[in-house]
Amino acid sequence: MTGAGAVFYRDYRQRMTNISLVFWDLLAPVAYLVLFGTGFERMLGTTSAVAGEPFGYIAFLIPGVLAMVTFGVAMNTSWGFFTDKDSGIVYEMLTYPITRYQILLGKIGFNLLLAFIGVVIVLALGALAFAVPLAWRSVPMVIVVTVVATAGWFAIFTGFAITLNRMDTFNAVASAMYILLMFFSSMFYPLDNVPMWFRVLSYLNPMTWQVDLLRFALLGIGHPTALIAEGIALTVFASVCLCFAVRSLNRVA
Amino acid sequence: MINAIEVDDLRKVYRSQAGVTVAALNGVSLQVPEGRIFGLLGTNGAGKSTLVKLLSTCGTPTSGTARIFGFDVVRQPLEARQKMAVVLQQSASESLLNVKDNLFIYAYLHGLSKRDAKARVSRVVEEFELGELLTTAVQELSLGTKRRIQIAKIFMLDSPLIILDEATTGMDPMMKRRLMDRLRAEAKQGRTILLTTQVLSEAEELCDNIMILDKGRAMASGTLHELRNRSAQTFRVSLSFGDTNVDIGELLADLCPADLQISGRNAEMLIRGGETSLLEKLAAVSRAATIQEFQVRGATLEDIFMDIVEEVR
Repeated sequence: MTGAGAVFYRDYRQRMTNISLVFWDLLAPVAYLVLFGTGFERMLGTTSAVAGEPFGYIAFLIPGVLAMVTFGVAMNTSWGFFTDKDSGIVYEMLTYPITRYQILLGKIGFNLLLAFIGVVIVLALGALAFAVPLAWRSVPMVIVVTVVATAGWFAIFTGFAITLNRMDTFNAVASAMYILLMFFSSMFYPLDNVPMWFRVLSYLNPMTWQVDLLRFALLGIGHPTALIAEGIALTVFASVCLCFAVRSLNRVA
Repeated sequence: MINAIEVDDLRKVYRSQAGVTVAALNGVSLQVPEGRIFGLLGTNGAGKSTLVKLLSTCGTPTSGTARIFGFDVVRQPLEARQKMAVVLQQSASESLLNVKDNLFIYAYLHGLSKRDAKARVSRVVEEFELGELLTTAVQELSLGTKRRIQIAKIFMLDSPLIILDEATTGMDPMMKRRLMDRLRAEAKQGRTILLTTQVLSEAEELCDNIMILDKGRAMASGTLHELRNRSAQTFRVSLSFGDTNVDIGELLADLCPADLQISGRNAEMLIRGGETSLLEKLAAVSRAATIQEFQVRGATLEDIFMDIVEEVR
């Protein structure tokens, strides 16, 4: 078995010891879609004009929920580094004949498995239960954005989980990121009408880049030039986060 | 003969949060030929675990070089790791997983195929009596059993170098004995073993070569015989006295022993000085009280160790 494959298998076996964690990874985004989406769609009317296009709020929210899936899965999975540090296995793993990149690759692979399960559930729910007209031909773009974003989010959380010594500090950082990155983004609302300072901060946020790319893929909303810039920015962000994670792993001992 | 480990002038300096620099290793050099058992001895903080971390590529030296079978641990870490199986000081295990998963995952992470892993897991399960524990989560096991699993894991591999950092800590005497026998057998078959320990009797029994570290420096190294020669003027003397009214403690204290322990009419002491002086001292004692039995031995490793550490301090 390859090094990355073995790490993937290890994470899979670990997660299977507590299947409720998998439900938690997927339940929160689905709950947002059903509860938040339904409530706001009722309040705004069945078809609101979003970014000049006539979409229901649930349709608008689906790309944001997909981003939430990747972010939540990465946050919850990286938390496992604390268990690994407590049990000492993370230090022993660094003596195994595999590279730090293979460790991260295997872990990102397992994150992707969970993320794609979530993505399929959300898209199926949107299309079947809420009759959202999704552009299925753009599925390859959804896959690419999900892969890049999942790698980036997992890597940044991994860097924090390894660097920070205390679990409560990590929880505080992760919760702050969860709130700030989700709400300072285009996840829940269009950025056209927010104050300028809010818009500037939101466009510096990788979550906005991910949501905008997914929204373009699924609903066709967005300006191609801006989206190319956001795509490049998201890739650079993920690459920097991967370097941060590898550097943290190298310094862990 | 190929050197399994070559360390040249290795230094590791840490900077504490208060900005103070601490040299955990300060210019250590050593060579371990293939097929030998090498023991690193030292008190807590002597630098043993730091050296193990650097050799197992879990840290970067501040200066100096270290090679595993010719592979530089900084520039060729993966190649170096492919040559070794390591048991670190911490009891490392996949605590959420059961014993079987722990063994299989370790095998997979070392590149073994499913079929190969299955055969090797079966072998160590039998050898280390883990059969009844296979489905038990490791977090429910005692420290000693976790150690047993860690040791079992390294014997699934064929790595030419085994590094054990205080691996017998928490292990029951039977398992410790079995491990020591196994290590000796592995060395005979050509595997190289580097172990750190604070249990000097283990090192004395097992190691071909020994290095004593203190405060990051190598204080002495060589075979046990060479280290004994270094302390040739030190003797451990056991005495059994017959009926006597003499205060044995007072009598022996006059000889100025480095160490003296008395239990009833038996005494054990550590005497420094030449052989002639020792015999004169014993003759003087026998004139004052009847000695029924006596035994004079060279210094034990513990005596040598204490001598060296005290000499430095």
